[in-house]
Amino acid sequence: MIHDSIIRERLVTGDKTAADVTRDISRPILNQPSTAWKIGFTLSLIFLGIFGVSLFWTVWTGIGVWNINKSVMWGWDITNFVFWVGIGHAGTLISAVLLLFRQKWRMSINRSAEAMTIFAVVCAAMFPVFHMGRVWVGYWALPLPNAFGSLWVNFNSPLLWDVFAISTYFSVSLLFWYIGMIPDIATIRDKVKTKTAKFWYNFFSMGWTGSTRSWARYELVSLILAGISTPLVLSVHTIVSADFATSVIPGWHTTIFPPYFVAGAIFSGFGMVATLLVVARKVMNYENYITIGHLEAMTKIIMVTGTLVGIAYLTEFFIAWYSVVEYEQYAFINRATGPYWWAYWSMMSCNLIAPQVFWFKWARTTPWFIFIMSIVVNVGMWFERFVIIVTSLHRDYLPSSWVMYSGSLTEVGLFLGTFGIFFTCFFLFAKFLPVINMSEVKTILRNRE
Amino acid sequence: MGLVDKNLSLRNRNKMLIGVWEDEDALLSATQAVVDKGVHIHDVFTPYPVHGLDRIIGVKRSRLARIAFFCGLTGLSLMFTMIWYMYVKDWPVNVGNKPVRFSPSWIPVMFEGTILCTAFGMGVFFFLRNRMLHGIKNDLLDDRQTDDRMIMTIETCEGMDEKGLIELMKEKGAVETREFHHGVQTVI
Repeated sequence: MIHDSIIRERLVTGDKTAADVTRDISRPILNQPSTAWKIGFTLSLIFLGIFGVSLFWTVWTGIGVWNINKSVMWGWDITNFVFWVGIGHAGTLISAVLLLFRQKWRMSINRSAEAMTIFAVVCAAMFPVFHMGRVWVGYWALPLPNAFGSLWVNFNSPLLWDVFAISTYFSVSLLFWYIGMIPDIATIRDKVKTKTAKFWYNFFSMGWTGSTRSWARYELVSLILAGISTPLVLSVHTIVSADFATSVIPGWHTTIFPPYFVAGAIFSGFGMVATLLVVARKVMNYENYITIGHLEAMTKIIMVTGTLVGIAYLTEFFIAWYSVVEYEQYAFINRATGPYWWAYWSMMSCNLIAPQVFWFKWARTTPWFIFIMSIVVNVGMWFERFVIIVTSLHRDYLPSSWVMYSGSLTEVGLFLGTFGIFFTCFFLFAKFLPVINMSEVKTILRNRE
Repeated sequence: MGLVDKNLSLRNRNKMLIGVWEDEDALLSATQAVVDKGVHIHDVFTPYPVHGLDRIIGVKRSRLARIAFFCGLTGLSLMFTMIWYMYVKDWPVNVGNKPVRFSPSWIPVMFEGTILCTAFGMGVFFFLRNRMLHGIKNDLLDDRQTDDRMIMTIETCEGMDEKGLIELMKEKGAVETREFHHGVQTVI
């Protein structure tokens, strides 16, 4: 029996009708860009420029311009890679896992979170690709005879698994995002006036008319894509963690890495979703669609996953002690009290301690505070990857190899530049595509049960 | 039955009765009433998925799930064959004197290949079956059918009580009723 819920809070406020939803969500697409959009886009382009310069310098000179030519052979680059891949995971979690759990609050935020996934994976892929040094032979990572002799790629290597995992993740996420967007592109197609816009929206809407037969197949395909994206997203970060865990380096050689990395990925991803949406809902006037209830639900996930990674940090410490392996014990003592103590304690305070503030309702329901906390989460998660990578590498078995590492200007430029890629893509997305899934939101206007 | 669902095209249709609704509940009750009269509803076009509508108008359950399963199996077999050929048949590499045969380290790549083929195989069949192609001309009956209006179409046949059906549609909350004849719509 379907009836209007009298208990549940409404997911969309302001007594919106289907026509209101179309009008509100397509407003940024149909109108001229706002001043806020122009300022944001220009800033993003500046950062994109920084990326271009840093990348040019890296390729032109060689990766010797990074400070990683020591025993610290993975530095900012792989830190940034894991950071961006992790951010992408929230998109899939929201659109796939929450769909399987029938969480209807996902509907207002899934589109932008999926977009974020795709842009974040693009940013992530930059780092391992350019870390290869001679990027023009990057295709050697594909299953081709090595240098066209007969030696093939190594299927025992987690780095090769990464090639398959990241490329599959990117392409499947793109397909999921695109199929989900077709009905909305059709809505925009029927609203735009100019000939060029009509042509492009018609091109990408693939003749969608909203037939019941099409909807039935669409829903089935969405469900199956969600079903296969869920193990996919878990496999991607498991494989990323295997890059470390399958090695024999103290601090990396731990079996807890896969669940720990996945929890961390969801944590950082929700941090980034919150950063984007707290601003977007205000600037784009979407407060009736992305309500305080949505923000509250996200903060609860941030708190739970933050606590999970916190438990993982403590478990690592315990296991290092329990293993009675002195190198393992040293690696962890060195993390907390060695020369990089500040990075370790930044990580601990941002990821484990700070999110506990979300036990308080005020913290969960105050947008400006959530925004600040989301930045804290992102900073903490960057430090987590930095701590894992750098503190484990800067102390070798041979004390003569001990070094200190800090990113060079080019490495910093590349990292800041990826924010340029990310936000340029996001601003273009916000201008040309519906940021909120209109067709799904229209199904929850009545708060049915 | 062909690969492309021919029901989705409105070309070459002789005469159809069209009802327009703006309320989901009224539409559901109207479709049920029309079906109860023994009339076959050709299709209903909605801006968002209206649950239960497919069952009322007799849309069969899609077989895309089975297709997805077979695409997945194809992906799995392709990846297994690829790794076996490269790693066992063509150029076996001695790694720590371990036997050159299937090992758990093949699983991640096989898994990713399975997912990739499932998603894209199913995606291709989804587009084909739904008659979806980049740039294809859409058969829209109303500019607002992707916005807030819901359109029911009934293909007429000899002996059909057209007037009675129009009356029923109006009675069940249709905001507009039209006749579609050789691509031209007339409000009735």
